[in-house]
Amino acid sequence: MSEGYEILTLDEVETASHRGSTLIPVRHVLGFRPAGVNAWIADTGGQLIPPHEEDSGNEELYAVVRGRATFTVAEEDADAPAGTLVFVPPEVSRTAVAAEDGTIVIAVGGTVGEAFNPGGWDSFVVADGHRQAGRLDEARAIMAQLIADKPDYWATHYNAGCFESLAGDADAAFEHLRRAKELDAEGASAEYFRGDTDLDNVRDDPRFQELLG
Amino acid sequence: MNLAHIDELDAIEMPDGFVWRPVRRRFGIRAFGTNAYTPGASGRVVEEHTEGQLGHEELYLVLRGRVRFTVDGNEHELGPGQLVFVRDPSLRRGAVALTDDAAVLAVGGKPGEAHEISAWEYVFLSTPHLQEGRYDEARQLLQEGLAAKPGSAPVLYNLACVEALVGAGDKALELLNESVAADERFREYAQKDEDLVSIRDDPRFPGAPA
Repeated sequence: MSEGYEILTLDEVETASHRGSTLIPVRHVLGFRPAGVNAWIADTGGQLIPPHEEDSGNEELYAVVRGRATFTVAEEDADAPAGTLVFVPPEVSRTAVAAEDGTIVIAVGGTVGEAFNPGGWDSFVVADGHRQAGRLDEARAIMAQLIADKPDYWATHYNAGCFESLAGDADAAFEHLRRAKELDAEGASAEYFRGDTDLDNVRDDPRFQELLG
Repeated sequence: MNLAHIDELDAIEMPDGFVWRPVRRRFGIRAFGTNAYTPGASGRVVEEHTEGQLGHEELYLVLRGRVRFTVDGNEHELGPGQLVFVRDPSLRRGAVALTDDAAVLAVGGKPGEAHEISAWEYVFLSTPHLQEGRYDEARQLLQEGLAAKPGSAPVLYNLACVEALVGAGDKALELLNESVAADERFREYAQKDEDLVSIRDDPRFPGAPA
C-alpha cells in the first residue's frame, strides 16, 4: 500500500464515548479534510446519534452501514434498515437509536459555501477517551496537535482547559482557559464557562472567579 | 423526513458498466460531494479514474456486498463497513463488484475549498439520454450544467456531441472549439468520438494534437 491511500475497517477503530453514544472517530483517524465524517455504533436500544441540531448552513447526511436504526428528525420517527440514507438540513433536531445489535451509522457533514473546517470536537472526544483509560501522554499529544493546528481558536484552548480539569491538573487547566478567554473576542465561551461540568474540578478554585470576572 | 434507501435512488447506468446513484442531487446537498454506486452489466462498481483534475480527496465506503478495489495498482477485497480513503488525488482507483448486491458510498471534495458541484454530474446525467437518442433531454441537462459551471469543457464538449447528432453542425463546431480552448484534452477525444462524425470533415473541426 502506498502513503497516498488507506484502508479502514470501522469495527477495528477504537471507539470513544460521547454524550451517551459510541463514536467511531473516522475523520480523526484518517485525517480526511473535505467534510466531517464520523460513525456511531450501538446495540439494540442504544443511542447512535446524540440528540442535537446543527448550526445554520450545516448539512448532514447519515447512512446506515449495518443493522437497523430508528431515526427521529424534527419529532418524526422512521425505520432505517442498512442502506438507508437520511438527509437532515441545518437547525433541525435529530437523533437515532439502534434497532439491532451492532448497528453502525456513518455521518457526513459540512457547511454550504464554506471550506470544511474541523472544529476538533471528535479529536477531543478521542483524547478524552485516552484520558479515561489512563493514557495521558496519548491524550495530551492529541490536544497539543489540536492547538498547533489552530493556535488562535478559542474553543481548542477551552477544550484543552476542560481536558486538564478532568485530568486533575488545575494549573494547566487555567493556563488554557485564560488563553481561551483572551481569544474569544465575541464572548461565545461565557455560557460554556458557566455550565460545563468538565470544569467542575476547578470551579471552586479562586482563579475560576477571577477568570469569569 | 428526507430519506431514501440506496435501492430507491435513481439508477443511471454509465458506459463503463457501473450504475451511478445520485445522492447529492437526490437530497440537494451543497456542502460536500457524495454519490453511491452499484454494479451494472460489466460488474464495475467504481469507475477507474483519478481525481487529479479536481484535486479531490475521496472516501469510498462499502455499504453492502463485497467489492474488489484497485488503488495505485494494489488490490483489496472489502466488505460492508470497510472503506478506502484515497488521500492522493493522482492515484488511479476503481472497483469491481464481487457480489451482485454490492453498493459503495463515495464522499469527496477539495480540501480547503467550499464544495462546488462537479461538471461531471451533468455529463453523467445526460449520458443515458444521449445514448438513447433523447437529445432534447440531454441538451436541457447540459445547459443546466453550463449555467452552473460556465465555460466547463466537459459540458461544452457533450453539448457539441448533442448538436452534432441532431445535425446542427455550426452550433456543434462552435461548442467543440470552445471546449478545446478550455481544455486541450478534448482535442484528442474529438478525433475518435463517433458522436462527432457529422462534423469531422469540416475545416473548422479542431485538428489532431501535434
